[in-house]
Amino acid sequence: MDDVMKDRVEQLVDYIMKKCLWQFHSRAWDRERQNEEILTKTMQLLCGEPVETATPADRCYWVDAVCMSEAFKERYPWLNTMDKEDIKSLMRGLKERIDYLTITGSLNKELHDTLY
Amino acid sequence: MPHHLFKCSECIPERKKHAVIKGPGENLTDALPLGYLNTIPGSISERGCAYCGAKHVIGTPMKDVIHISHGPVGCTYDTWQTKRYISDNDNFQLKYTYATDMKEKHIVFGAEKLLKKNIIEAFQAFPDIKRMTIYQTCASALIGDDINAIAQEVMDELPDVDIFVCNSPGFAGPSQSGGHHKINIAWIDQKVGTVEPKITSDYVINYVGEYNIQGDQEVMLDYFKRMGIQVLSTFTGNGSYDDLRAMHRAHLNVLECARSAEYICNELRVRYGIPRLDIDGFGFEPLSTSLRKIGLFFGIEDRAQAIIEEETARWKPELDWYKERLKGKKVCLWPGGSKLWHWANVIHEEMGVEVVSVYTKFGHQGDMEKGIARCEAGALAIDDPNELEGLEAMQMLKPDVIFTGKRPGEVAKKIRVPYLNAHAYHNGPYKGFEGWVRFARDIYNAIYSPIHKLAFIDISKDEIETEKTFVTQKMLSDATLSEEVTASTHLREYTGKYDSVTELSKKTYPDFPSPKQAAAV
Repeated sequence: MDDVMKDRVEQLVDYIMKKCLWQFHSRAWDRERQNEEILTKTMQLLCGEPVETATPADRCYWVDAVCMSEAFKERYPWLNTMDKEDIKSLMRGLKERIDYLTITGSLNKELHDTLY
Repeated sequence: MPHHLFKCSECIPERKKHAVIKGPGENLTDALPLGYLNTIPGSISERGCAYCGAKHVIGTPMKDVIHISHGPVGCTYDTWQTKRYISDNDNFQLKYTYATDMKEKHIVFGAEKLLKKNIIEAFQAFPDIKRMTIYQTCASALIGDDINAIAQEVMDELPDVDIFVCNSPGFAGPSQSGGHHKINIAWIDQKVGTVEPKITSDYVINYVGEYNIQGDQEVMLDYFKRMGIQVLSTFTGNGSYDDLRAMHRAHLNVLECARSAEYICNELRVRYGIPRLDIDGFGFEPLSTSLRKIGLFFGIEDRAQAIIEEETARWKPELDWYKERLKGKKVCLWPGGSKLWHWANVIHEEMGVEVVSVYTKFGHQGDMEKGIARCEAGALAIDDPNELEGLEAMQMLKPDVIFTGKRPGEVAKKIRVPYLNAHAYHNGPYKGFEGWVRFARDIYNAIYSPIHKLAFIDISKDEIETEKTFVTQKMLSDATLSEEVTASTHLREYTGKYDSVTELSKKTYPDFPSPKQAAAV
């Protein structure tokens, strides 16, 4: 990933960390699911692709994705200049970074407690 | 790891891992204190116990319930009326509290008979109330009284009553948070699914982790009703016992205080497939986004948008009046748990204050992750602080105001730092658009209080100004502002009423046609 892409990923990370709560569920498996579902749906929305909203769970991930994709487009004008492939690459980088910050690199010792 | 060891805690070196300073460019993998561990001996914690967390935070806001503690009267007294979780049934649960009043002889001979006698007496004293929660305490847990058996005996004898038993003695966890956990799980195990509710809308939610502090829940309910949403239950502020038995029939759990109530949301998701949506009810932008998300979920985002536009137009000029006067003021954000992250970013963005420190009395590392993620670089984050650390932090950071509980708040006053009550509020509610302006007004009043300024003068040696015969808040706050700001016709101080909640109960709401019914015609 080049420096421009890294910088853009960090801008999106900053937004998520300051404005969102979905990435901080209390257990590692929940965080994996939340990150996967919401960031995938956000990527689909940004790329104009269809998004699955059939189940209540899907709709719940989707509403977070809708609000986040709108905020991204409004706050980061450079996003509107990117093509689909670049957006997908950006969102893959974002997913890796969020997974690291909230799961694999997290210092939270409760993430792997087997009970809620 | 940028740990911080307070000078006063050098004799307790383990405390070092419980405080960090978030440096420039550092993230959560660099800076996170330990959390939710037993308080280190020698550190005089500000925490409560697991019984307190179960009863005082989550149990007692249920409004139509006799809340009885099986234990010494002191446990009950210390968890009575110290938080303003009001209700629309004349505050029954605030007015009355009940204890079995265990004494030494009961420790020796057992207290089950005493408990049964108390339960029946309480129901007789309040014949209109048919629901009860019994809270175990350390004393009754240690002697092994079978509270569940006694509760069942009474329910067999009095068929119209229902009793919930909460086994969360004080020693059941490192802090009150252990009690939050226990009562969440006990409620879903014992009570959820035992009542079938009447569904009156296509859009049905549980509002979870909301305790109606000074009317917060009623403010949020007003928005939900304006959107045509049925709030099946509120866990637990202004909440009804039987409504909360029907939580399993909601379409969505809207979660406000994740620290105290995420457990029941997680279990409702696993057991009943109800999704969990975490929201922020504080601040214009977070609240707007939250309402919009709920609207989107049900396909009624236009109704949410109408509320957002109306409320923002009405209240934003007032919020901005305070923002102009609060910019750059230093704040220590020292609540119990969730307000650490609910407020950390939004008070900086919408009120212009600088959050120089965050702490949590009983939060977990997950709360600190959210709080540190949301505050700016340079903030000092402390887990389970003690009084001396709080004093040292205030002397080091020199905050203009702190948001905390009333005990550390009184300590702050002694060193001339004004405080606002982050748990029970000063002049709340603080949720909602108007509520957020009320919070800004309280911060303004705290920082610019002329009386507070007088507290710094030592009349035995300081020179007393004789030119000024009086000072007002505005004279202090506007001294350095531009004329453009002070003469603005757009910005204005808070214009709401003293009581912003009571009138909500008299409102009528639109009757939205049901899409399902319309489709059937």
